[in-house]
Amino acid sequence: MSYEIREVLDTVRMTEMERFDIRTITLGVSLRDCSSTLPQTVRARVYDKIRRTAAHHVAVAEEVEALYGVQIANKRVSVTPIALVADHLSSADMIGLAQILDTAAEHVGIDFIAGFSALVERGMTRGDQALLEALPSALATTQRVCASVNCGSTTAGINTDAVLQLAEVITETARLTAEHDSVGCARLVGFCNAVPDNPFVAGAFHGPSEPEAVINVGISGPGVVLRTVRELGTDTCFSDLCEAIKRTAFKITRAGELIGRRCAERLGQRTGIPIKFGIVDLSLAPTAEEGDSVGEILIAMGLEDVGAPGTTAALAMLVESVKKGGAMAASRVGGLSGTFIPVSEDLAMIRAAERGHLSIEKLEAMTAVCSLGLDMIAIPGDTPAETIAGVYLDEFAIGMINNKTTACRLIPVHGKRVGEYAEWGGLLGRAPIMPLPRLSSRVFARRGGRIPAPIRSLTN
Amino acid sequence: MDIRRLVNRIAEAMGSNADPARIEAVAAAVLDALDTDAAAPPRATSVKTPGERVIVTAYGHDKPGILAGITNTVSGAGCNILDVSQKILQEYFTLIMIADISALHGSVRDLQNQLTDVADRLDVRIMVQHEDLFESMHRP
Repeated sequence: MSYEIREVLDTVRMTEMERFDIRTITLGVSLRDCSSTLPQTVRARVYDKIRRTAAHHVAVAEEVEALYGVQIANKRVSVTPIALVADHLSSADMIGLAQILDTAAEHVGIDFIAGFSALVERGMTRGDQALLEALPSALATTQRVCASVNCGSTTAGINTDAVLQLAEVITETARLTAEHDSVGCARLVGFCNAVPDNPFVAGAFHGPSEPEAVINVGISGPGVVLRTVRELGTDTCFSDLCEAIKRTAFKITRAGELIGRRCAERLGQRTGIPIKFGIVDLSLAPTAEEGDSVGEILIAMGLEDVGAPGTTAALAMLVESVKKGGAMAASRVGGLSGTFIPVSEDLAMIRAAERGHLSIEKLEAMTAVCSLGLDMIAIPGDTPAETIAGVYLDEFAIGMINNKTTACRLIPVHGKRVGEYAEWGGLLGRAPIMPLPRLSSRVFARRGGRIPAPIRSLTN
Repeated sequence: MDIRRLVNRIAEAMGSNADPARIEAVAAAVLDALDTDAAAPPRATSVKTPGERVIVTAYGHDKPGILAGITNTVSGAGCNILDVSQKILQEYFTLIMIADISALHGSVRDLQNQLTDVADRLDVRIMVQHEDLFESMHRP
């Protein structure tokens, strides 16, 4: 036999028992050719372009799933940041465009479409302003549209006016979607150093320098890494632990690239549009299923719970090992390539938050070593917009100074307080409402202007 | 290396599928592998026929008829079975089969569906996965 039995069973065990799956195959579609001064023309072009490019996306991904026996959890679409495509539109027309995106997503059979976005780290155009004004209603009147706003970067600094406005948008979205525990905010991400090839929705968008259409892949596999760490026991030294994680990451990344390439080839043949294979995003992404948790990996490394002293070091080691193993395995890596630590989508993280082991401050420290930031954290509904802006500014400062992506997705759950739960169901899971400091950031958050870009020498 | 013995063994293994061209291709591949990779870890054979292949894996409680059920379905779908390896440990069995799908009727998904019916009947798990997955993960 051309494979050793051990090798075959290794792969089968990953796919069968350890929930190894491809977290997302995301088709990026350029909408740069859909611009017009007439709102109805933009709507028609956007709808038509998405239908033409993505009509077979789900069917092709399902075929490839069957071919390799590896599940592809999410098949999604990202588009050019809408503020770039529809810079002429008023905020009312922007809402209409969001609804068209929602309809197009429904018609091509996907659950989320991302890219209702604006890149405003240096300032806003009229279109950016219109998009931000449209956001609360756009999110409240759609189910599938995901939005993001890039407020800062290492080269531009942080646009604090945009951060405050985003915080106000979040508060208003929470109010408009109060009926469903403010779920609209779960589709709205704030970024510093947003990346143009991120396959992970809700923060995905198809960057302006990307080709016409591209397939990007997000791997998953916390379960596979968890097994690797557990098998080594408790007395293995760090270097051996890292080696083992690297080898595991190598294998799952190879599978991810293979599957991404096949999807791109087949989709290109099916649609007649050249579809490039873009990148593999080397991120561990948990789900709210038992055994599919990043928090459990940290516990398996020897911590009593997530939040114990050592948590940040453990996470740093995990992220680095996954990147090193994955970078050797794939021809092109990109996207966020960190590790997601969303509180509501990770069982061990939910438990740690419930027990009071995990505070927002500890989470913030953890985000300094993994690229994803404060993700899916439910906070009290009466949190002032300035406090939300303060948290986002802290997080973006970490990204700006350390030249890395940081994201924020806080959900002020309307009408709920610490001790209660936000119940979103499905992929978004549930989360305990976590306390924020009651100290005011009002004056600071309202100063306005830009926090200047950092100096790139004298880096201590 | 006794070439005549090698050819005879290949012909024997191929049974009714044997023809001179295929035997020659396999023998050339074996000699090539021995030549270039003398220190490689032992594997049963490194025979690779042209065309696409899948790996069928089955596991579960051992009972009569599993190999027969899988073989009939895989052959019936137009696949050429190239290699089978079966292990039984206490009451559990594991089966790994490599099959050429060049002449497969329908898609790999159809084959998986047919094998899932067999698996349900025998209360075992059966998976079909394209060889490329194993190649990419274990033969970079």
